[in-house]
Amino acid sequence: MNTRSLKFQLLGWYAGVLLGLFGLLGVSTYWVLRSSLAGSLRENQFRRARQIGQLLREEVQRGDEAGVGREVQGRYAPDLNDRFVRIARWDGGLLYLSGSPKSQSFDPAALPPPRWSEAQWSAEVEAAREVPLLGGRRMMLAGHPVKMPGGSLYLVEVGAPMDEVQADLRHWLVFLLAMLPLVAAIALGGGYVLVKRALAPVDRISSSAERISSQNLSERLPVPHTGDELERLSVALNHMIERLDAAFQHSRRFVADASHELRTPLTIVRGEVESFVTNDQLKAEWRERLGSALEEVDRLASIVEGLFAISRLDAGEAASEWVKFDLAQLAASTADQMALLAEDKKIRVTCAGSTGTWVEGDRARLKQVVVNLLDNAIKYTPEGGAVFLEVKTENGKAILEVADNGVGIPADLLPRVFERFFRVDKARSRERGGAGLGLSIVKSICAAHHGHVEASSEPGRGSRFRVELPHVRPGAGHNPSQHKP
Amino acid sequence: MAQMRILLVEDEKKVADFIARGLRSEGFAVDIAYDGDTGWERASGANYDLIILDLMLPGMKGTELLRRLRRQGGTAAVLVLTARDGMDDKVENFEAGADDYLTKPFAFAELLVRAKALLRRPPASRTHVLRVADLEIDRLSQQVRRGGRRIELTAKEYALLEYLAANAGRVLSRTMIVEHVWDESFESLTNIVDVYVRHLRSKVDDPFSTRLIQTVRGAGYRLQEGPEP
Repeated sequence: MNTRSLKFQLLGWYAGVLLGLFGLLGVSTYWVLRSSLAGSLRENQFRRARQIGQLLREEVQRGDEAGVGREVQGRYAPDLNDRFVRIARWDGGLLYLSGSPKSQSFDPAALPPPRWSEAQWSAEVEAAREVPLLGGRRMMLAGHPVKMPGGSLYLVEVGAPMDEVQADLRHWLVFLLAMLPLVAAIALGGGYVLVKRALAPVDRISSSAERISSQNLSERLPVPHTGDELERLSVALNHMIERLDAAFQHSRRFVADASHELRTPLTIVRGEVESFVTNDQLKAEWRERLGSALEEVDRLASIVEGLFAISRLDAGEAASEWVKFDLAQLAASTADQMALLAEDKKIRVTCAGSTGTWVEGDRARLKQVVVNLLDNAIKYTPEGGAVFLEVKTENGKAILEVADNGVGIPADLLPRVFERFFRVDKARSRERGGAGLGLSIVKSICAAHHGHVEASSEPGRGSRFRVELPHVRPGAGHNPSQHKP
Repeated sequence: MAQMRILLVEDEKKVADFIARGLRSEGFAVDIAYDGDTGWERASGANYDLIILDLMLPGMKGTELLRRLRRQGGTAAVLVLTARDGMDDKVENFEAGADDYLTKPFAFAELLVRAKALLRRPPASRTHVLRVADLEIDRLSQQVRRGGRRIELTAKEYALLEYLAANAGRVLSRTMIVEHVWDESFESLTNIVDVYVRHLRSKVDDPFSTRLIQTVRGAGYRLQEGPEP
């Protein structure tokens, strides 16, 4: 999984925020619950302390200070009820201390003495505190000062273990922890569905954007009519593609116009000079020089032709006819025509191919592909070398392969061989003629036929050009209007 | 034979001039119109044997001129010149009544060959034996002799030699040779011509003292007796 993808990050944030909220809710409910339970326990202890305080007052007024112990023991039996009661005098005398509880859950004698100031005692300010017991348990201890009219001060303390409160809180905590995986699952699952739904248009947009190249700039991205940011994004991208399309068309039109405009002056130069090279009254040296100029005019003309052809092919105006034919047969007959060219360099051309490899398109253009590739192979293979031409069907594709055992192409230059005017070895190829457009034309023709061409090479051992075209059922299909790319 | 009249409708003055010069030196009477309207005036007013028509014209467009001419029943052969080689244009112009089509830039020799073909003027010789110096080509039996000695040629070599001999003295460009001998129009195939010519020379010229197949640098080849250029 790509951890930097928007999907992953959004999902992370979504789940993180949801789990954080859950944690916050858990902590706050825990504290609210705790203070509420502890509060009610405290109130109960205060109420009891006040009742005992009332008893104490009555006993002291009756002059039987010690009688309160009996009274408390008789009425409340704290040791049986797991309660703690302590009645103390300000001067330090202990009036009553409840016995060890039946459950032995705490030792009344071990509980810390009250830490009250005299001011608190005399002002009769009640206060409660939590006292730790053994084993992590706690006790709620409520203190109720009693001031007799005679001035003597007493403190009544009533306590109860907080076991039930702690148990309730523990249950709540267990519940929260038990809910955690469920909440996490919902957060992740829900988040995933949400993010996936939200980002699905992004995937669609990027995969369509991936398909758009200079060859099919007329295509547009799908626009989700959702009124959201993604609709705006795809509309904006489409506008950008429109501008790119316009720019590309502009440059193609420029190349087409430029090559068009160059034809008339070329015609004039050629026409004027031609009349001299065929004029036998002219000195041979002059004729030779003018002939050399004429050769350059021819080269210029073929560059112009090539550029014009490429710009038309790229603009999708290539096909003048659209027929089904056997590529193997075309390749074989072309190889036959060019055989003498190879023979002249003592190059052996091997032509392997299964007939019946049908393709559809402009026969003349595809012949040009074969001619250019073979011409190239023969050109760059030294005398005595070999050129292999093969046509076959592979995975529903018609394949044309032209391989040689010539000089090959260095790996770093290989991706550039289809560029216009690119030459692997500038000096040598100029000497052999050619404008450096042959392979560009091959590439444009293949693209115009919904196919492509690729080159591979081992320098010093040869090169291989592989053309892939859509394979079609044999037949005499001829429908230019429908299939014009 | 009466002099053939050719109307040249071409707005590029220099192009018109060298074509006219070339055609006149071949013995044709050439009128020039530099725009479409003048072209139409001339074409509809006089009887021409051939009209060489540029498509991109000021005033009336070439295609329109052609259409009007055919509607009026004009029978002149029409050779269209254009700087465009769009197939659609080609179809459109053939439908409008063009007889042939030549894309700029072209070799004048090519224009001449096409013009002559359209004028249905018989080639230099229709006889079944072509003779250039001591070279003899029998078109019926497709046998070639030089100085009485029989020369064996392959089919393509024969076709090439016959084409050169039928146009003896005239320079033929590689493009023209490819189109005629191979029936193809391929820039990239033109270097095959050089190889075939070399093979042909080794059989027709090398064993003899004079060379007949001449290379005209920058233009092409020609078959002719006489000084080597």
